[in-house]
Amino acid sequence: MIVAERLTKDFRVAERRPGLLGSLSTLLTREHRTVRAVDGISFHLRAGSKTAYIGANGAGKSTTIKMLTGIMTPSSGRCLVNGVEPYRQRRDNARSIGVVFGQRSQLWWDLSVPDSFQILRRIYAVPDAVYERNLALYRELLDIDALGTTPVRQLSLGQRMRAEIAASLLHDPKVVFWDEPTIGLDMVLKEAVRALVNRANAELGTTVLLTSHDLSDISAICDDALVVDGGRVVHEGTLHELLRRADRRSVVFDHRGGPGVADAVLRIETGLPGATAGLTGEGRIRVDYPAEAFTSRHVLGFLLDHFELADCYAPEPDLETVLRQTYRSGVPAARDGGAG
Amino acid sequence: MRAGTYVPFVTSGLQSLLQYRSTFLITGVTAAAGAAVTVFLWRAVYAGSTGPGPGGFTPAGVTTYLVVAQVLAVVHANRVDDEVAAEVYRGDIAVMLVRPVSYPLVRFAACLPVIAANALLVGVPLLALFAVLVPLTVPTPVDAALFVLSTAFSTVIAFCVNLLTGMAGFVTTNTWGVRMVKQGIVSFFAGQMVPLALLPGPLHALAMVLPFRAMADGPLTLLLGRYEGVGGASAVLGHQLGWAVGLVLLCAVLWRAAASRLEVLGG
Amino acid sequence: MNRTLGGHLRLAFFLGGVGLHRLTAYRLDFLLGSGAFLVRVGLQTLAVGVVFTHVPAVAGWSYHQVLFLLGCSLLPRGLDHLFTDQLWELSRKLIQRGEFYRYLIRPVNPLFSLLSERFFHPDGFGELAVGAVLVLWSGAELGLDPTALQWALVVPLVLCGALVHAAVKLFFASLSFWTVTSMPAMQAATQVSEFAGYPLDLYHPSLRTLLTWVLPFAFTSYAPAVYLLHGSTGLVRWLPVVTGLSLLAALSLWRRGLSRYEMTGS
Repeated sequence: MIVAERLTKDFRVAERRPGLLGSLSTLLTREHRTVRAVDGISFHLRAGSKTAYIGANGAGKSTTIKMLTGIMTPSSGRCLVNGVEPYRQRRDNARSIGVVFGQRSQLWWDLSVPDSFQILRRIYAVPDAVYERNLALYRELLDIDALGTTPVRQLSLGQRMRAEIAASLLHDPKVVFWDEPTIGLDMVLKEAVRALVNRANAELGTTVLLTSHDLSDISAICDDALVVDGGRVVHEGTLHELLRRADRRSVVFDHRGGPGVADAVLRIETGLPGATAGLTGEGRIRVDYPAEAFTSRHVLGFLLDHFELADCYAPEPDLETVLRQTYRSGVPAARDGGAG
Repeated sequence: MRAGTYVPFVTSGLQSLLQYRSTFLITGVTAAAGAAVTVFLWRAVYAGSTGPGPGGFTPAGVTTYLVVAQVLAVVHANRVDDEVAAEVYRGDIAVMLVRPVSYPLVRFAACLPVIAANALLVGVPLLALFAVLVPLTVPTPVDAALFVLSTAFSTVIAFCVNLLTGMAGFVTTNTWGVRMVKQGIVSFFAGQMVPLALLPGPLHALAMVLPFRAMADGPLTLLLGRYEGVGGASAVLGHQLGWAVGLVLLCAVLWRAAASRLEVLGG
Repeated sequence: MNRTLGGHLRLAFFLGGVGLHRLTAYRLDFLLGSGAFLVRVGLQTLAVGVVFTHVPAVAGWSYHQVLFLLGCSLLPRGLDHLFTDQLWELSRKLIQRGEFYRYLIRPVNPLFSLLSERFFHPDGFGELAVGAVLVLWSGAELGLDPTALQWALVVPLVLCGALVHAAVKLFFASLSFWTVTSMPAMQAATQVSEFAGYPLDLYHPSLRTLLTWVLPFAFTSYAPAVYLLHGSTGLVRWLPVVTGLSLLAALSLWRRGLSRYEMTGS
């Protein structure tokens, strides 16, 4: 469905010097350097999958999405969306995709949202039944009628984003590319947006590729994750597998009587070399251990042997921690891409 | 309020201008083309006459008038109208109300380097180009000095006119149309299309009353020595000064009204 | 299921309707846009009038002939203005602010999609109206009696002139794919087009060559005007070739620009 083969994008960036003297000198000469924003990445996303495209700022996420949507031509390598090379067959590609770039509007600036939708309906030749069904859905979930006849340029960010989201799904696209779709939305609307795309995926088999700074968007929508760092893919698989990649796991427990906290920490850290322990906010003790040295069973056994446990659980590693670790271990190249 | 507060706006105005070095070249091409149209047209009118022709201009005199009028237009192209209109349209203007500075003064500070850069990088080469191509009149030192003083007044008037044009953005989104109207009216009634002395009776009377005359015709009257003694020169400068004060006051009043409306509407 | 020409036309009509609808919503803007041209052209006509209060003829052209030429220059310009005004936005900010992408994600020709945002731009109506009035009035004053062929060619002449204007605009607007903003270049080209409102005979031969063969604005006004006034076909016969070549140059630059488009910003 979505395939990338050694996809690469280089940018030429003009060097600007800071300050007034800098501006004066660039008046006379201008230097360029090449920045590789996407460095030969390859991946394959199945039809109907919901994938989070994850990476630090400047990791080349947006650049990749721009190539997949046909906005930019790769410097080398290629990609296919629905069997079409997007930047070569722009119109064929455009018919079957929906796009949201949270930072940039694609609506008609001087027109109201209903007017914009009428235009989109014509442009994509949306059948009446589909249009009515989708509009009813947007009324229900996004309260789209509340936007009224105000020109788009006078809408607030949150209002505009609701319209952008709806516009990207109006023609029942086979694939949606959402780049930061929930900026400016409150919790209720975020929920609605997530429900909307999950529904499209469940009912129409819409393929979803999402980037978001809000990790709860990712957890609520995506099953799969594609992690890039320094312009390269560092993980391609399910979100679940990504979480299991955590190199440090933890166990949290409560114990009756026995040694004090300092004593307990000392006992754990000597008994389980490489592990660290500390008090959590709730007054429990948290043990963090390296995943390659111990299994959770091993750690639990140790705790059962040494403490009188009142309560004990092993929390799922959270996405943020995993990502922080993934970025750290990744190749730190081309971070200054500037076109992330 | 210290003048030093506004120095950063002067340098930032220059910096943003210098990022687009092609702007100077293009302003130059535009001005040269504009001057060429009028110069060709009017030189065809004066073709054949050796002594003073219509309006008492010599061929060299009328050419000087039209070329320097275009140079003044370049100096007055301080981009205040575009920038104010754009800030009003985008709503960025509301941010300016939060800053502890006067917005019109900020704009004035920011346009000073634009004026200087336009004068040096476009105005002077333009004048030199035409001096090579066609005969021009050389002014007396006194006339030249009066011209410089008068040009200083004219830049204040040009600033006010552009600020008012930009503030039209509060009323309409088509500020482009407003700017076109302004540009047309200014270039006609300042004397950039037709030397004002050549206008027929009622039109001439109208041009004499309007402030735009002070933007080109005034300084040019002094430059070409087309005035009668001290009284004539001070009449020209007096007209300029009167309009400069009047327009500054008008700007202050309208800006205050616009700002209070902004506060009510919250941007 | 490629969209056919008919499909594009239907869409154009619909979008034109949207454009007109927008005019009613922004009535003041519409009046200002059209009014701006009435004022500008009115003043230009006035300036020409002032010239002729001092001399009977300039470079062999009478007052009414010059007005006829001015009118001829406004008709194609107005027609072009009605449909391609969005090119100004392209040169000014669409590339610079990374907004251009939206034309690339629609299943419609990107150029069509771009232009359609400003179909029936109000400013064009003013030019067309003033141009028509000037041509008809000065034509009547000159006692012009066009032949059947001349009548038949009026519409093609205006159309080709508008296409030449559109091509020059597209060419300079497309430069923004390389230079991020090409507004100054477009302004300069527009300023050069102002030369076309006056007889070419006024100008230095080098300027005449520029206006005929480099930025062919002479073909939008001077060539048709001398054909309609004097029946001379020396220049006007090149009009189809010039129109075709201008469009070819502009469209190929536009295509190359599209393929190197880099959506800046994040």
